Amino acid sequence: MHNWVAAAVAVAFTVSAVAAEGLSEPSGDVLLTIRGDIAETNGDGVARFDRPMLEAMPSITFSTSTIWTEGTQEFTGVPLSAILDSVGAAGDTALATAINDYAVQIPRDDWGDAAPIVAYEMNGAPMSVRDKGPLWIVYPYDSDATYRSEVIYARSIWQLDRIVIDE
Amino acid sequence: MSGPVEQHGKRRTWVRTGLAASAVVFVLGLVAGMATLILRHIDDLSVASSDNMQWSLAQADVEFLRFRLSLADARAEPDAAQLSQLRQRFDIFYSRMATLEEADTFHTLREDASFAAPVDRVQGFLQATVPLIDGSDAALAAALPELDERAAAAGENVRRFSLAALSALAAQTETRRIELLTALVLMAAILAVLFAGLLLLAGSLSRLARLAQERAHEVQEGAARLQTVADTSLDAIFVTDSEGRVRQINRAAQTTLGLRPADAMGASIVDLLFPETLRDPLRNGALRFLGTGTRPGPEERQFETMAQDIAGRAFPVEISFDRGISGGKPVFVVFLRDISRRKAAEDGLTEARDRALAGERAKAEFLAVMSHEMRTPLNGLLGTMQLLRDHALTERQSELLDRMSSSGRLLLGLVNDVLDLAKFEAGKMEVETRPFSLARLLDGVVQTTAPLAAAQGNSVEWRWVGPEQPGAVGDMRRLRQMLLNLVGNSVKFTRDGSVEIEVERLRGDEDLVEFRVIDTGIGIAEEDLDRIFQDFVTLDSSYARTAGGTGLGLGIARRLAALMDGEMGAESTPGEGSLFWLRVPLAPLREAPEPQTARTASFGDEAYHDAAVRTASRRRPLRLLLVEDNEINRFVAREMLEAEGHTVVEAANGRAGVERAEAEAFDAILMDISMPVMDGPEAARRIRAGQGASADAPIIAVTAHALPEEIESFRAAGMERAISKPVDRADLIGALDSVTGGADEAEAGYAGFEAAPQRAPLVDERQLQSLAESLAPETRARLMDRFLTETEGTVAALAARAPGAPEIAPIAHKIAGSCGTFGMVALADALRRIETRVKRGERLDADELRALPDLWAESRAALLAWHAAA
Repeated sequence: MHNWVAAAVAVAFTVSAVAAEGLSEPSGDVLLTIRGDIAETNGDGVARFDRPMLEAMPSITFSTSTIWTEGTQEFTGVPLSAILDSVGAAGDTALATAINDYAVQIPRDDWGDAAPIVAYEMNGAPMSVRDKGPLWIVYPYDSDATYRSEVIYARSIWQLDRIVIDE
Repeated sequence: MSGPVEQHGKRRTWVRTGLAASAVVFVLGLVAGMATLILRHIDDLSVASSDNMQWSLAQADVEFLRFRLSLADARAEPDAAQLSQLRQRFDIFYSRMATLEEADTFHTLREDASFAAPVDRVQGFLQATVPLIDGSDAALAAALPELDERAAAAGENVRRFSLAALSALAAQTETRRIELLTALVLMAAILAVLFAGLLLLAGSLSRLARLAQERAHEVQEGAARLQTVADTSLDAIFVTDSEGRVRQINRAAQTTLGLRPADAMGASIVDLLFPETLRDPLRNGALRFLGTGTRPGPEERQFETMAQDIAGRAFPVEISFDRGISGGKPVFVVFLRDISRRKAAEDGLTEARDRALAGERAKAEFLAVMSHEMRTPLNGLLGTMQLLRDHALTERQSELLDRMSSSGRLLLGLVNDVLDLAKFEAGKMEVETRPFSLARLLDGVVQTTAPLAAAQGNSVEWRWVGPEQPGAVGDMRRLRQMLLNLVGNSVKFTRDGSVEIEVERLRGDEDLVEFRVIDTGIGIAEEDLDRIFQDFVTLDSSYARTAGGTGLGLGIARRLAALMDGEMGAESTPGEGSLFWLRVPLAPLREAPEPQTARTASFGDEAYHDAAVRTASRRRPLRLLLVEDNEINRFVAREMLEAEGHTVVEAANGRAGVERAEAEAFDAILMDISMPVMDGPEAARRIRAGQGASADAPIIAVTAHALPEEIESFRAAGMERAISKPVDRADLIGALDSVTGGADEAEAGYAGFEAAPQRAPLVDERQLQSLAESLAPETRARLMDRFLTETEGTVAALAARAPGAPEIAPIAHKIAGSCGTFGMVALADALRRIETRVKRGERLDADELRALPDLWAESRAALLAWHAAA
């Protein structure tokens, strides 16, 4: 598992370097909007991502159970760090907010290379809002007990649609 | 040491140990239990198994309300935006419900019908609504009123399962809380127990600490006390390591030896304390334990030696040292005491004692000389009186002469007593050891005292008590003197009674012989019993005067007894009689020896005197040389000799005597010892050494010196016999008889002197010296080897002969000559005696021959020792 994590990280760095050259314009529905202290934008002071943009970014796939679902699920998504890097997030805190306005702060310390990811697929299919989609910040809860804490559960925000980078 | 107390103590210790072990096990169990409890809780709490359930439930409620608000907005204004909003709200609520359906957290809740039933109904509402939501805007808009109604109905169920979940959760939370509370209470209890244990432990530790402190304090006090003791000591004290290097010294060590602690530390104690010349002997001797670390034996821990202080002053010290253990290693503690003062005091005492003793001796010698000098005029008196008897006397004159003679002999007895005493005081008394017959001795004593006893109307006899064993080895002459004294005493103080002598060999100690002299006389009062043995004590002076006596007799007798390692004492009942006992060690002899002498009486002995005089008339006339410086003595002797029909030529000193002896042949020479110009022994030597007419004439020493060692020197000078001054007629005639072979008496040699043979020198060192000077060492060694080899065999052969064998004389003569050459004077003398007696046809004592090998062995050893030393 570490091998693929390492490989994925290597890929992530390469790609983020490419992505840093500038953000493309979203062509479809905007799934995620990032604002605040960011360097890269593709709108009015905001960075917007549609599904193809996210899918174009290096992805990580892992299987884990969650306390909200029954059985083991396979999640695929982009590391949160990769997304924040791609927009040149300079702040220390990311305030992630869901469609229903549930919000949680994720400090820079938690922007790991491998976790969390912003998952856009569960069990190989896009997630609908009813399935806590379309974007869900998830951690590989089964891989480490530190991921099975209240704070991590609180940060595991589903139906994510916007992030504000704060100072 | 296994008394009940110790048993009790042991049991207590065991109980204590058991209790402590149980306590430890108990505490360990508590800790383990607590740890398990805590670990379980830690495990439970390490990961969160659920999200916030209340939030999730409340959120479902909230999302449902938002959905209904959105529904109400859409009914009021059913445009696309509102409908899209409605769809999103529906989806969000849907996802909420899905979570309630799927999440683990709600598993237990779902089993509760009051929760599951409303949830199912809400799910039914959702499933029924999905086609509407997923359908077209128009259809949705048309169904809004109906949807609103159903939503209102679903709302109740949402409310219901929320409340059911909340109450279930409340119960769950309470259970958890109680569990936690129980755990915490348990933990608190365990902690309390542990804390109590800790308190106990602390208490016991503090007790231990206090004890340790007290011990330390005691040890410190002890050390301080010891230090005080050491510092107060007048002796210097050193503590050294096992190698003898000084580790500690006390104050006295600093003052006595002038040491500074800094100089002393680490120095070798041997180098530090002792003069250089003593160091190696001490290291190899008394202090050899330093370095080996072994402990000296009890008798090796003290010795005296010399020490020196820092200034080099040497002084006598007494050292006491021992090994101890300090810190697991051997250490030595050395006490050094300056004994200069004690030594000085001792020396002073010794000197004072020596001076006092010398003074005593000087007095005794003075007494001896005085009594000796008194004997010379007495000699004149008695001799002259004897001569007077040869003249025709009236009866009255004869009676007067008897009185004079009697008084003279009494006086002579007194002088002899004093002389004996003086000899004692001068330490010049020697004990002889010779075989003799007790029976014969006692016969003699009875015979000697019989006349006096008869005069007092007493009977005297002796008898054995227990088995008879007449043979004994000891000093017969002294024994006789003592017995004569005791019997004489008894006879004097008994009238018309009996005096009995009992002889008994004491059982248990075969060597001890007891003589008891029992009389029926006047007796002695008990308080006087001890006094009578003191010098110059006479109990009844008037009686003593008639009986005669100086009061010295018993004192001398007791001294003699002590000299012979014996004792003497008395028991008495006044009016009935006395018992005097004498106990002396006399080694038993299987056979009584042949009579060595027929007369053992001393001067003044009436019986002997008469016997000797009686035989006198049978002698042939002799030609005699009389060498004597004292004119009176000369006159007396001359008169005595001429009365016997002898011819006498006089010489006034030794030199004149030698001249006369060279010029004329004499049958015998009478030689005084102390003379001016040339003394007797020197004159005798010259006569013997010369080729004069009388070179081989027998020489009789006439002397007042009667000490054994002097007798030996007379013999060595070539004088066959000695007689004592004052010259007694019988003695003189007897001596002449023996040397001229005219006597029928067996007595030969030094009658009356009885020189102690064991005291004679074995070898004459002067002779050996002269031999060594005249011969080359090789020659001497060769000769000596030959002599030793030959003589060894001959002596053995001689000893094996029967006493009567005729070849004894020539063999004895031959060995005597070579023994003389090699300075074995004692052996030569013994051999010559044997030769003389055999030649005279006298019977030899078998013991005399048997004694030769021993004498030879001793002489040989002495000769070799002299050579080894030379």
